Amino acid sequence: MARPTSFGKDTGLQTRMVMTMFLLGLVYVIFVGVLFAAGASAIFIVVLAGGLFLAQLFASDKLALRAMGAKEVTPAQAPELHAMIDRLCVQADLPKPRIAVADTPMPNAFAMGRSQKSATVCATTGIMQLLSPTELEGVMAHELTHIINRDVVIMTVASFFASIASMITQFGFFFGGGYGGGMGGGDNDDDGPSWLVVMLVSLAVYVISFMLMQALSRYREFAADRGSAVITGRPSGLASALLKISGVNERIPSQDLREAAQMQAFFIAPVGKQVANLFATHPPLEQRIARLERLETQLQGGAAPLAA
Amino acid sequence: MGFLDALLGKRKIAGPAPDRLFALTTAYVDLQTVQGITTRGAAGIVFQQIATADFRQIVADTQELLQGTGQETGSKIEVTDDEFGYKWVIVRDDDIEDLVVSVNTVADNLGAGGYADRILAAVFAFEDGQKQRLYLIYNYKRGTWYPFAPAPGDKQRATERELQLKAQIGAGLPMEADLARWFPLWGIPI
Repeated sequence: MARPTSFGKDTGLQTRMVMTMFLLGLVYVIFVGVLFAAGASAIFIVVLAGGLFLAQLFASDKLALRAMGAKEVTPAQAPELHAMIDRLCVQADLPKPRIAVADTPMPNAFAMGRSQKSATVCATTGIMQLLSPTELEGVMAHELTHIINRDVVIMTVASFFASIASMITQFGFFFGGGYGGGMGGGDNDDDGPSWLVVMLVSLAVYVISFMLMQALSRYREFAADRGSAVITGRPSGLASALLKISGVNERIPSQDLREAAQMQAFFIAPVGKQVANLFATHPPLEQRIARLERLETQLQGGAAPLAA
Repeated sequence: MGFLDALLGKRKIAGPAPDRLFALTTAYVDLQTVQGITTRGAAGIVFQQIATADFRQIVADTQELLQGTGQETGSKIEVTDDEFGYKWVIVRDDDIEDLVVSVNTVADNLGAGGYADRILAAVFAFEDGQKQRLYLIYNYKRGTWYPFAPAPGDKQRATERELQLKAQIGAGLPMEADLARWFPLWGIPI
């Protein structure tokens, strides 16, 4: 066989994803260690947060759908969308998810659900009007890849300790009450670190894990873009959809180059781009488009290695 | 698609499962004599179109090849696009064996070019004694068959009839066990 698959591997993305997960895990292990050293009262918080975590895992999809005003649609109500997803499911070898539509002009789509069996994909009426079938297919394949990759579970698990840390930071004042002993019990002179230390550690854990989670989320978006390209075989379809959704299509200049050159002098160079990168859950559009373009080049036989 | 692949967000598209396409030729004997279900002399294979030069060349070459062999067997070949942007290679021949062989030729040629993972399904058109249209769909990803019986009305399917068919022919064909994967194909051009 000349070409076993249409696309190569993206080792760089994998490596960075593993690194991020490793760092996130490391932060959490240290955090749990400090909690244990602080005593049993902290364990109580972990149990409480564990309950919240399970509730989040099992109810978040319904809550999110309700928040978006999305309603599940039958094949009779949205025949084109159903037929499109049917075919993508065959192609991706995935059981069919529930399909919901949210009646809002904002172009958006998302996937929910903790497992492949209980997944729901939702599209807004806005995105269905805005995009051509090929582009919509790219977007839906992106959402299906989120389901395949179990991104909802992974991000919920990843945020588990971050939310405990944020709870401790917020309620620490309440529990600790300003005096540096354990809450209750009265054994003020035990060996464990004081609540102030726990709170400071929690704060640090929260900040660091927040940034790591954002990074992880961006990597998973890249992975979903890639998955979409692999499923549909049309990286350019998704790229075009992303451009349309972000409204950049209107920004493709219609202005004459000679006029624009004069304007360049007045532009301020973009500042703080690195900081913006650290805090965004979605990668910048330019990067996503660039990667999809590379996939298209690969597909066309250019065989440009996908540099990380 | 293991746990690790999901964790790492790897997406490898499933290649074709072990080929069980030819199971139809033996199963058809039973289908015809016992169930009174006969071929409508048409079959199709549906796949995604990839906008590359070599892909277009493969499709064109395959069409030419099939038209060449069709002059001996009497098969007629059509290539059409459907409303979802997928390509169909349609074979018309009253002999079920010729249909299966032609469909397999298309799949083989796409596979030889490295595009095996683009094939969606093969569809064979049948009708029963009451002239009701029935389809048997072969899912290349899973190597399984399932029945598809469109009912009158817009995008309705006769689920009861499909379940009957499963019971009737399930012994002869490797059937898709997961009913959630009996994906309909609307607007089949045969």
